[in-house]
Amino acid sequence: MLVDLPGGWSPLLGRLAWSQIPYANPILAPLFVAVVIGAIIILGLITYYGKWTYLWKEWLTTVDHKKLGVMYIIIGLVMLFRGFIDGLMIRTQQVWAVGPHSSGVFGSLHGYLTPFHFGQVYSAHGLIMILLAATPLLVGFMNIIVPIQVGARDMAYPYLNALGLWITAAAAALIMISLFVGDFAHNGWFEYAPIFELQYSPGVGVDYWMWTLQLVALGTTLGGINILATIIKMRAPGMTWGKLPIFVWTSLAANVIALTSFPALQVALGLVAADRYLGAHFFTAGMGGNLMLYTNLFWIWGHPEVYFVILPAFGMMSEIFPTFSEKPLFGYITMVLASMAIAGVSWLVWLHHFFTMGAGPFVNTAFSVATMLVGIPTGVKVFNWAFTMYRGRLTFNAAMLWAIGALFLLLVGGFTGMMLAIPAINYMVHNSVFVVAHFHSMLLVIVYAIFGSVLYWFPKVFGFKLDEFWAKTMFWLFSAGTVLVFVPMYMLGFMGMTRRLEYVFDTGWQSYLTVMELGIVVYVFSVLAFFILLYVSVRDHAKNRVGADAWGTSRSLEWMTHSPVPFYNFAVLPHINERDELAWRRQHGIDQVRPEHYEDIHMPNNTGVAIILGGLTFVLGFALTWRIWWLCIVSLLAIILLMIIRSFKGDPGYIITGAELQRMEEEAYRREAQVLDSHHSHPVSGGVVGNAMAYQRNDSSK
Amino acid sequence: MSHGATDPTMHPEVQLSTSKGYFLGFAISIALMLLATALVTSHSVPPFGLLMVITVCAGIAVIAQIYFLLHIDISEHNIWNTVALVLFIPLFLITIGLTWWMFSQLYLRTMDMSVMSSVTNPAVHAPATPKLSDMSGMNKNPDSGN
Ligand code: HEM
Ligand SMILES: [Cu+2]
Repeated sequence: MLVDLPGGWSPLLGRLAWSQIPYANPILAPLFVAVVIGAIIILGLITYYGKWTYLWKEWLTTVDHKKLGVMYIIIGLVMLFRGFIDGLMIRTQQVWAVGPHSSGVFGSLHGYLTPFHFGQVYSAHGLIMILLAATPLLVGFMNIIVPIQVGARDMAYPYLNALGLWITAAAAALIMISLFVGDFAHNGWFEYAPIFELQYSPGVGVDYWMWTLQLVALGTTLGGINILATIIKMRAPGMTWGKLPIFVWTSLAANVIALTSFPALQVALGLVAADRYLGAHFFTAGMGGNLMLYTNLFWIWGHPEVYFVILPAFGMMSEIFPTFSEKPLFGYITMVLASMAIAGVSWLVWLHHFFTMGAGPFVNTAFSVATMLVGIPTGVKVFNWAFTMYRGRLTFNAAMLWAIGALFLLLVGGFTGMMLAIPAINYMVHNSVFVVAHFHSMLLVIVYAIFGSVLYWFPKVFGFKLDEFWAKTMFWLFSAGTVLVFVPMYMLGFMGMTRRLEYVFDTGWQSYLTVMELGIVVYVFSVLAFFILLYVSVRDHAKNRVGADAWGTSRSLEWMTHSPVPFYNFAVLPHINERDELAWRRQHGIDQVRPEHYEDIHMPNNTGVAIILGGLTFVLGFALTWRIWWLCIVSLLAIILLMIIRSFKGDPGYIITGAELQRMEEEAYRREAQVLDSHHSHPVSGGVVGNAMAYQRNDSSK
Repeated sequence: MSHGATDPTMHPEVQLSTSKGYFLGFAISIALMLLATALVTSHSVPPFGLLMVITVCAGIAVIAQIYFLLHIDISEHNIWNTVALVLFIPLFLITIGLTWWMFSQLYLRTMDMSVMSSVTNPAVHAPATPKLSDMSGMNKNPDSGN
């Protein structure tokens, strides 16, 4: 072997051994039992109700962008929950282990987590929240909404879309299994050189971290390619760049960032792998290695990545504000330019994550100025949203509340970011909890935008609204939790509390930590409110059904098709006349127009290949982590073979005939009429109504 | 805007690809990589010359891949590939350029320059990864963390 591997290794099982299963751990062992029982119950229920074929046919093999999006969101929510539990554990350890007299249990001197376990918890928390909660949630929404908003029937590459989902799922599974088999990394979510080298982190933790990250990077890149191609090539007739809905624009900007920046991460991780597996010296302290290069490479991706996650959130806010202000978005053009500017500048600022490395005044000043430049387009956006609401007819429903909350958090996070961008200040607070509070404010912008979007787009996808009362309850609890946790965190940051402390030496900080613990308990209640929200909404769904335009004041294309959206999205592709097409049609009285006749349409077939490839990717990641070489080779060969076979087979797709389409559409209209109880007549159009074109006519250009 | 059931393999940009081109691109890349590896492992060229040779190899490989694998040319139907390449240039300059600048400034302040010169002019070949047992203060038990 190329490296001197500590501990045992066998050809059959690699580094895997019974001793790697933490059955004596007082937290993990009961959790493991609970997970197994839960899994048995779920699998049992699926079998009992005979839902396996349904699950396989309708979900696991689907290439429908909406279902894939829903599954992305489910993965994201599950991982958000897991990451939240990690957060709860971190807070509890810190409030417990204050001062030399604090008690300790479970083998820990203070608190209930040993330093090694505490390290694993915060490392997993960070990685999960950014890459396996926020990212899949946003990718899920882009998946669902972008194709409908550009008036397409699916993504440009439906099969690739499924592949991206299942690779992301494989990454989530890999980090979850690290709970029960072996350990996870304990050096932080972005790791450090050279401590992640095999000599200093001899366990499998860093390998789990590395392959998980590598898989998410792969899945997200595939998704990014798909969304870009969809936006560029699949727009409905008449949709010029100037008429693109704003969420599509921000998705475009975000995915340009993803496509260009993720490779930097993948290269960095590949070099880490070379160090750990092949005995190379890219990031070692001596022997020609350069440990600062790792930090540099990581943040070359890392900072663009934070804008990759914030830009879609900006897009969501830009959709929610106009709908509930009953006004068009203020400053569309500047909004587009700001999104693109943010994407561009995001490439110029990465060094602000390591001002303290010591590159000196010239370098630090340049990156400081570049960082502050980001504030300009961001400020433009904030003002645009404010002016959108100014003198609008505002509806303060739950979705709007989340969006407004996001706006306030953006201010907090933005201004603290500006402070951090000043090297002189940065030297004081770098690696303190002030930084932690800053980026949590920012990431909470995303969480708020996501919950706003869940409420906003849920009726579009499922055909009924979520319960307002519980949604608002959840919002207020969540916001109270946010204030209680993060205001003291900012203050502690100023007092000099460094991040990632498993033991808090200064007893003067106790009261702050207690308030934060209280805050996280309030968060727990908001999570409960979310579960109640789901339960109540599903229970009462018959009462809350909606028609195509769920809010009555929506503006963009997705609200023109049925709710829930049929699998073909649009029976006849609409012709786009204006930027806010639905608002425009409403104004011109043609929003109720129906197509006169239906033509055959072409749809992609389902495929089981994607989920099998995802499963094999998981096996590959697991085998690489544990160095089970034969399994690596087998799974890699299987992946390559399957890809070759699939590419020779291709997918001819299938045809839905016009007659069939007409039947389905009429049924959908009937259902909608029952909901809305509406009796007004619907004009029929073969294309042109008055001087406006509703649908593309056959004789017009293709 | 192309929708519908037209055969995707008939698109002009897809028509550009031939298996001969792919194999050639692959073969050239592999050959250059093997050459570079052989030169590095055999130490048959002095360090500075070695750096030059492998840089040239990398350059040729990049061009071969752009031409044979990515089919980037300036024709109309390839416009998106070309746009992607043009977009790549500023990013390349930013990442490599700023990194280079950053490190040159950083080294001035943090590196012992007499050590640095040994990178381009090593007195002895660096030893392989030290054995774990040779490292003082090393924790040899993978389970117990720090
Ligand atoms: C106005 C825009 C922003 C500015 C000026 C800014 C500035 C900064 C600076 C200077 C740091 C480094 C602090 C240090 O470690 O000493 C930092 C850290 C960070 N920021 Fe921001 N930031 C901005 C927006 C964002 C956004 C939009 C996000 C994410 C959505 C974000 C997420 C983060 C993260 C994750 C870290 C630290 C990661 C870590 O150390 O673990 N920031 N920010
Ligand atoms: Cu940053």
